Amino acid sequence: MVVITTKKPVDEVLNVLKENNVKKIFIVSCGVCAALCQTGGEDGLNEWKEILEKEGFEIVNGLVVDDVCDNREMAKVLRKNSEDIEKIDAFVTLSCGLGVQSIVETTSKKYPSMKVFVTNNTEFMGMTERIGRFYMRCLGCGDCLLNETGGICPITTCAKALMNGPCGGMVDGKCEVGNYERDCGWVLIYNRLKAIDRLDLFSKLRDARDWSESGHQREVVFR
Amino acid sequence: MGEKKIYSKLGEVIAKGDFVLTGELEPEKTCDLSHTIQEAKEMAPYVVAANVTDSPLGIVTINSMAVSHIIQKETGLECVWQLTVRDVNKLGIAGMIMGGHALGLRNILSLTGDHPNMGDMPESKPVFDLDSATLIKLVREMVDKGSINGHEIEHPPTLHVGGAANPNADPMEAEILKIGRKAEAGAEFIQTQVVYDIDRTIEFLKGIQKYKVPVMLGIFPMKSYGMAKGFDMFVPGVDVPKDILAKWKSVKTDITDKKEQKNVYDQLNYEFFKPFISELKSKNLLAGVHCMAVHYTRIFPKLVEVIGA
Repeated sequence: MVVITTKKPVDEVLNVLKENNVKKIFIVSCGVCAALCQTGGEDGLNEWKEILEKEGFEIVNGLVVDDVCDNREMAKVLRKNSEDIEKIDAFVTLSCGLGVQSIVETTSKKYPSMKVFVTNNTEFMGMTERIGRFYMRCLGCGDCLLNETGGICPITTCAKALMNGPCGGMVDGKCEVGNYERDCGWVLIYNRLKAIDRLDLFSKLRDARDWSESGHQREVVFR
Repeated sequence: MGEKKIYSKLGEVIAKGDFVLTGELEPEKTCDLSHTIQEAKEMAPYVVAANVTDSPLGIVTINSMAVSHIIQKETGLECVWQLTVRDVNKLGIAGMIMGGHALGLRNILSLTGDHPNMGDMPESKPVFDLDSATLIKLVREMVDKGSINGHEIEHPPTLHVGGAANPNADPMEAEILKIGRKAEAGAEFIQTQVVYDIDRTIEFLKGIQKYKVPVMLGIFPMKSYGMAKGFDMFVPGVDVPKDILAKWKSVKTDITDKKEQKNVYDQLNYEFFKPFISELKSKNLLAGVHCMAVHYTRIFPKLVEVIGA
């Protein structure tokens, strides 16, 4: 599993940094997911160093960090680089939204006025076909239906995330969203369930999704 | 609707087993309903009720609940309030169902609704908290049990609820099984998408016969070649057969007199739909016809005769 990211337009990032009067920067680049998506890693770090220096920002430090999204890892990095952190106005993070927030959470106690910015948009939790081809197949909805739908998720493959599809927007197995180029998720489910001789599951009337546990901040705490 | 309670004229005619004809009103992006009211008045003598569409193709129009209420009040024509699950969550829809009842509405057609991405506000959040089957289930709980999620409603609504079906759907079996789910949810009638292929229609109607839900077949008499072409191009899941398009085109190109053109278009519609409906009726596959001839109310007087409604 990879958290898929794409690059924000460079000007958008530069404008945010200027608006916030940022001069001195510490770049943290994700060495795992963002490196795979070519939005972080060593290449991303070098690219952003060049962009920011050209625009007159001072790069105090730049590091590739595995698991930017792990608070323990980030706390370690922050401890080791405290001297540099004292000098900066902001972190610029080449990661997903988790990495940014991990830095905010781990720095905010010691450096309450520290600013943290991100160069990427976080797209989705993705399945990798090959580098450069990533697909959203799971939304992490917290109530997995895959055992009943032939291993194909209606929440991500149906544009309307319907529990009882296909809808009237399906034409010849394709979805109305995206000009009939993508497969209708419920036709994929139908074909799978037919192949495994479980159309009884397709015929089942499913209740609306229960949002009572997932329509707000979620956490998993088991110890 | 068997021994169920009857809440509307549509419910009554279906229960009696009389052949039903329903029409369709498509309000637009306007707050002035004078054209829609005029159309409603023109079709009222010939139809049992008229559907009122809910922002079809995801293109925002005046709200269908408000329009259904105004049409009933101004013209006396009963409405089938089309309600999609696209724009409002379960909580909101439950409130709307009570509101719709309070406004005098007695029939709902439960629809998924075209994705906002298709329409003129693609940036809107697609809701789809319910789907067309679970909306039917919700209405039936509110009406039959007088509750929402098990919580009692002080004065429950009394409404009939139906669902849609698309005989053109491929794979057809998936669509048939889906109608089974709607029947299980408590659909009291089915109105179909527009059809032109008789063999496919028969196969589909036979396929859903086991669910024992009265079916009104969707037809679209075409007022002009332009309308036929537009319908063929823009309505998802419906293809107007090429030979029909060619016939309608020849009227446009070969006949210059506008009045004569109108007569020929009308005649072609009667000639196409008479044997079509008659064959399905003879096979006992239909409870009625849902005619989506929007802005084509002059077709109704003769259509009623032609299809025997």
